[in-house]
Amino acid sequence: MSTAAERAKQLALISRLRATYPEVPEWPAPDMVTHDHFLAYMKTPHDVGGELNVPEPFVEKEEEQWELMTYVLCEVLGWGGIWLSEERRRIGNVDVGRAVYLGLPYYSRWLWSVGRVLVEKGYVSWGELTDRLVEVAARYAGGLDGRLPEAQPKFVGDGSTVTRNREHTEMVGVGDPGVYTGKAGKAQFTVGQRVRVRELPALFYTRTPEYVRGADGVIAEATYESPAPEDETWAREDAAPEWFYIVRFNQSELWDSYTGPDNDTLQTEIPERWLEAAS
Amino acid sequence: MSDHHDHDHDRTVKPMVEEITDFEVLEIALRELCIEKGLFTAEQHRVFTEFAEQIGPTPAARLVAKAWLDPEFKTLALTDALAASKEVGVDWLEPTGFGTPSDFHAFKILENTPTLHHVIVCALCSCYPRPILGNSPEWYRTPNYRRRLVRWPRQVLSEFGLELPKDVEVRVQDSNQKHRFMVMPMRPDGTEGWTEDQLTEIITRDSLIGVALPKPGITTNVFSATRSAIRPVVQ
Repeated sequence: MSTAAERAKQLALISRLRATYPEVPEWPAPDMVTHDHFLAYMKTPHDVGGELNVPEPFVEKEEEQWELMTYVLCEVLGWGGIWLSEERRRIGNVDVGRAVYLGLPYYSRWLWSVGRVLVEKGYVSWGELTDRLVEVAARYAGGLDGRLPEAQPKFVGDGSTVTRNREHTEMVGVGDPGVYTGKAGKAQFTVGQRVRVRELPALFYTRTPEYVRGADGVIAEATYESPAPEDETWAREDAAPEWFYIVRFNQSELWDSYTGPDNDTLQTEIPERWLEAAS
Repeated sequence: MSDHHDHDHDRTVKPMVEEITDFEVLEIALRELCIEKGLFTAEQHRVFTEFAEQIGPTPAARLVAKAWLDPEFKTLALTDALAASKEVGVDWLEPTGFGTPSDFHAFKILENTPTLHHVIVCALCSCYPRPILGNSPEWYRTPNYRRRLVRWPRQVLSEFGLELPKDVEVRVQDSNQKHRFMVMPMRPDGTEGWTEDQLTEIITRDSLIGVALPKPGITTNVFSATRSAIRPVVQ
């Protein structure tokens, strides 16, 4: 059990976690929210390119055993057709919201995404997950006492009736995006063509970075065909593949007051729906 | 800092108990439930764990060393990087038959020249050519590197000790979809007559990301400071 003082202490801790602009009160009225603030709140938090940051030391990190196990868990769920990588990338990097995205370790969000997808898709109920969390914590309640944490499944389940995506079998031998080769028709843009990145109101998910939206670039290469991540992330089986392009931007045009030479460039990969011809 | 001292006081008087972390509890609970539901087999988990434990940067370094020595192989590396990977023992379709799901199956090698230097980043997450280069370093995943590299590449490179002259175009490759990228650095002076093994030694992971250049005598990455794990990977 917890004391009233302990409960108050945790509430005080949470009260200091800030997730809003300080110039606007929490729980604003509609007239208090500007268009710019709306876009900022709607921005997918994984898209950090170009944000301000002071230099910090670059360090390496030794991997925790649970981090390796988390990576493997995510990948074998992909192998088994429980999810696509594009689902994982959204759930663990975007759906978490900005506070968790920046506030918790990298692999803890991978882990969060596993729990989330299992519950959302009905593989595991909230009760089953909660009971198991309590049970595992209880096994080690007195401390690890020299033991390493260990998974102890009660039995091995029969996987033959589990619902799985079709991609995990279709991709065997050809990979992803190879499985979509020849399925998008003719590429609309050609190498060397000038294009503009459309400024779409991208709610919920995208992989077209905000820092190139509205900018002009040149098609460097038509790369492969694939469903756009904005469809694939919800595992839509009706998503039509489209062409992807590596687009090259001139840095001094892309950024206000770029400090490097005029011919520095940046390339990023963009699906066709995000591009239009520019003159 | 007396305030800080007060807060610490609590901890110093309690006996040290090695407790399981929230992350470990969550990982174990989820893995147990997945196995009980039959979502994957124990064999798949074992095979993938073994695969994940053996990946590292050596095949990538060897690929570049081979390309430096063999013009035909270099052409293959620059036009069909997946085929070139196989020549150094990395089949990107392993271990599932369709690859490592997070890394997809589209790989491109970017050639540096006397007037062009590439550097890679994933501004959206941590896309990295994991099957051939191993796990990405922690700094590569940080918001700091990702926020700044796309916009201030020369400043970030200078923090790695890499100052590039103005007549070298810096090209940032933001790896944000299904393609994975790796840099093919230029062979440095002072390596004439070297064997593939000798060349492989100086092709560091950092030089394949593009934050360093290969140099005779340098066989380690730029930064060695490493944060220790609480319970590191069990060998």
